[in-house]
Amino acid sequence: MTDATPAEPTAGQIRDLSRGRDMIVCEDVSKWYGDFQALDKVSATIKEQEVVVVLGPSGSGKSTWIRCINRLEIHQEGRIVVDDVELTNDLRNIEKVRSEVGMVFQQFNLFPHLNILDNVSLAPIWVRKKPRAEAESQAMALLERVGIPEQAQKYPGQLSGGQQQRVAIARALAMEPRIMLFDEPTSALDPEMIKEVLDVIKTLALSGMTMMVVTHEMGFAKEVADRLIFMEGGQIVEENTTELFFSNPTEDRTKLFLSQIL
Amino acid sequence: MGGFGIGSRNSAVVPSANVPIAAPPEVLKLPPREWVKANLFSSPFNSVLTLLTTVVLLAIFRGFLAFVFDPVRQWDSTATNLQLFMTRAYPDDQYIRIWFCVAVILILTGVSMAVWRAGSTMPVAAIGHKLLGTGALLVLLALLAPFSASATIQWLVAALAVAATGEVLRRSPGKGEDERTVSTLTVLVIALAGLVASLWVVPYGHHTYIANRVPRVLAEPGTVALTTKLPWTVMLLIVVTAYFAGRLMRDRLPANPIRATLMVLWLLAPPVLVYLVLRDPDFDIGHVVGTDLPIFLAYATGGAALLSWLTRPSTGEAGRIIAVLILLVGFCTFLTPMRMVVRIDMLMLAVFALAAPTFAGGPRARKRYAVGWLGVLGVASWLITSINTPSTVEVPGGFFIGGLSITLMVAVFTILFSFPLGIGLALARTSSMPIFRHLSTGFIEIVRGVPLITILIFFSIMVPLFLPTGMHLDEVTAVIIGYVLFSSAYLAENVRGGLQSVTRGQHEAADAVGMTTAQKTVFIVLPQALRVSIPPLVGHCIGVFKETSLLAIIGVFDLLYIARIVIPGQTEFMGSARENLLFVSVIYWIFAYQLSKASQRLERRTGLGER
Repeated sequence: MTDATPAEPTAGQIRDLSRGRDMIVCEDVSKWYGDFQALDKVSATIKEQEVVVVLGPSGSGKSTWIRCINRLEIHQEGRIVVDDVELTNDLRNIEKVRSEVGMVFQQFNLFPHLNILDNVSLAPIWVRKKPRAEAESQAMALLERVGIPEQAQKYPGQLSGGQQQRVAIARALAMEPRIMLFDEPTSALDPEMIKEVLDVIKTLALSGMTMMVVTHEMGFAKEVADRLIFMEGGQIVEENTTELFFSNPTEDRTKLFLSQIL
Repeated sequence: MGGFGIGSRNSAVVPSANVPIAAPPEVLKLPPREWVKANLFSSPFNSVLTLLTTVVLLAIFRGFLAFVFDPVRQWDSTATNLQLFMTRAYPDDQYIRIWFCVAVILILTGVSMAVWRAGSTMPVAAIGHKLLGTGALLVLLALLAPFSASATIQWLVAALAVAATGEVLRRSPGKGEDERTVSTLTVLVIALAGLVASLWVVPYGHHTYIANRVPRVLAEPGTVALTTKLPWTVMLLIVVTAYFAGRLMRDRLPANPIRATLMVLWLLAPPVLVYLVLRDPDFDIGHVVGTDLPIFLAYATGGAALLSWLTRPSTGEAGRIIAVLILLVGFCTFLTPMRMVVRIDMLMLAVFALAAPTFAGGPRARKRYAVGWLGVLGVASWLITSINTPSTVEVPGGFFIGGLSITLMVAVFTILFSFPLGIGLALARTSSMPIFRHLSTGFIEIVRGVPLITILIFFSIMVPLFLPTGMHLDEVTAVIIGYVLFSSAYLAENVRGGLQSVTRGQHEAADAVGMTTAQKTVFIVLPQALRVSIPPLVGHCIGVFKETSLLAIIGVFDLLYIARIVIPGQTEFMGSARENLLFVSVIYWIFAYQLSKASQRLERRTGLGER
């Protein structure tokens, strides 16, 4: 690690990750769509406050994996344990995990019939059972943080893609999650808007949130990630710290991927 | 997450102020002659088409006028029998109840129009434009209709007067900012006042209904009876007064409580008014105090306490188990003989208990849930009581009322009850629980596969035989239940179309923030699904309204039956079916068209926020 010192310290170097407990544990997770195997014995552990970026070509199972972690997809073999709760068919466990895990989607998926404020405050009011006034002031504070408090009374259709994605992040944060999952948060955005969303995610990472990010933004990955996971064909090909991954990848497939992308 | 602050607020900057913004090009408005040339005579083929269509349209219009103004037509049969059309043979000495119902509906309408700020302003020039068009149409009518020379001249003079008024109004007011405008509501009130005033001078004719004489309906030409024109004048005053009272309330009181109160009143109005039309003043109070009230009170106190406990966030899993137990008890009540009210109330309590965890929350939310239960229980108990007591108004014939009143009544109740049922069926059919899915699918497929007439006959004749002892079911009620079941099956399919249009991403987003299935359905899926299905749902409502004409088959005197059979059977008006059918078509069309307009407004309003 001595020979590859990055210009800026990563989030992981600011924090001490060695004592963190395991937030997400995956053991031999497999999943099939019909005959097609989407995930093949995926095993990984993500510690508290760690930021992990998942890379890989299209169709490599990154999104499927991240969606298994809050059970939007159901894994067929193996174990997934999130914050000491194992994901099974038990509805109570699923509800518990989902209220601890925030998720941001590629397509934003804001609720088009509700205004921005209601989009953010709906779940705290009904799932966390917060009083409306408290939930709304918290929602306004979150919108302030993601930089769009003036849009609170508008509807999602009236906002740009980047603004919508920032609202989606605020909506996930409103549940006060301990883990955030990002499923290609910038893939549906114009290049100009990518930066404003990545800035928000970056600040979130520096604040100590445990995060898993699926992305194609290499610069972002280099800057924010503590660890990188490279997937192909439903398998984890390489798993390494950010510096080693870019400076000294061990697998040939990773080298090929990096040479094509950088 | 202490040091969390974003510096990207300026990243989506709008173009700076010194860049000139190009105005959109103005849309040219062609003068009439050029418009005609550009749109109707742009090519030889177009010109031929225009001429041919004009000739055909004129021929059709002339044929229609020849029918309407044929001296053989007995239009006085329609005019004289208006009361028959509206309420059939409702006894004259009880007629004050009908007027009271009309007054209540008008007061609610007036207040609601003020509170929801209905109506808009329209420029005087636009009214002039419309009058000019009407004048032109009247000129055409005068020239085409088979009138005598003197009549043609009279019509022409009247038509030209209308057109001239229109032209004056069209030219007089200024343009742009100081354009004179008038409220659409004022125009509406002036038009209605004209209609009411005409009752006092135009000889429309009226009829009296005498039970012990043949023929029983005696029509008398002449101006409308005082029992009709005086009430209508009062009604006009009432609606105008209600509107101004509503404006006062709107300006003085907070908006949301008024609107909520009005909504509740609108929902309560139909059953209350029907009750009023049906019931005799000396009603069996002893039964109410002895049986109905104690049952209601027991469920009210017990249920409210239980629900208040179930909606505590800390209750958790035990609450769900108890809710399922209540549902089981509800089913078990059907195994032993007991009052129907007890069973129905138990099932309603089970539904509320099952939904309780979804609406759990702080003290205010819990209180609101308990109050909601009390409200639903109260309305349901009262409805059951009123259905169980037979009508005591002495009306000749099998039914207490007929004509437009029963058409509207059946339509309103069918729509009111089939909406929740249809939505429930649609949700059940798309549910992941196999029992609900199969039950709902089976119900929908069976009901859709059976003709409506079969269902109506089944419900009017068979169902009263199956009822447990001690329960009466009015025939109209039975028929409305049949209509509701039939309509909800179709409605469920329309709603299901809407449910399928909600994208998978919306479901996932709701799941990802930890919503339960019930919360997801109520807050995310249904609002979007219903918005998409507004056009088919309104189409369905129009269909329901028109299908009420099948009531004639089971012997109810609905609007169509009176026009087709009753009036042409009167000795004075033998064979006047065609005139009355035309009149009835116009009535159906007016209501259906209003529904259609309302749907367009609703679509525009809910389209907010969608781009």
